[in-house]
Amino acid sequence: MHMHKFEKIWLIFGFGALLVFLTVIGVSAFYLGNQPPSCLATIDPEKVDTTAPFNEPGLKKVEGKEWDYELVFVASAFSYSPARVEVPLGAKVKVIATSKDVMHGFQAAGTNVNMMLEPGYISEVVTTFKNPGEFLIVCNEYCGVGHHMMHSMIEVVE
Amino acid sequence: MAKTELNRKIDTETEVEDSTNLNGTLASVMILGAILIITWVGLYMLFLSR
Repeated sequence: MHMHKFEKIWLIFGFGALLVFLTVIGVSAFYLGNQPPSCLATIDPEKVDTTAPFNEPGLKKVEGKEWDYELVFVASAFSYSPARVEVPLGAKVKVIATSKDVMHGFQAAGTNVNMMLEPGYISEVVTTFKNPGEFLIVCNEYCGVGHHMMHSMIEVVE
Repeated sequence: MAKTELNRKIDTETEVEDSTNLNGTLASVMILGAILIITWVGLYMLFLSR
């Protein structure tokens, strides 16, 4: 089959790009161990308030783990608990969150923290707060009439 | 009397561009590829900086 030289060039380019992107996904998932925020960890949504760690929402220092702090959030219509939390600058934090009622969002604006909170599932993400300042947490999944009022604040302090 | 045009030679030569010339196609494909790569690298940098 005759193929123009230019066609060969952009086919190689296209397949090369596909290969690079698939490799990036493969390395991220299987070598770095990245997984989606909600990954098979479940909870009874009616017993969130009495189930650890959600019985004590807030920041907790932990020892002997890959991260320095655990930040626990409970979302319910239409608020987050805690409503405001201070995090030390540069801390490696595992954010653990779930919902007590309907589906909520959890996005810390200006950071890479952005996940969906589903009732019955625990969502987790590990992040390092590199920049000081206040980061607004907003619900980005429509959850009801008070959706736009639903927020919290992470303050990264030195 | 009107003349018939049976013997008139009609100029049929029209300019046809060489259909194997793909320079423009190559350029547009590469521009599109560059846009994709720049966007991807830009977003990755944003991800790393936040």
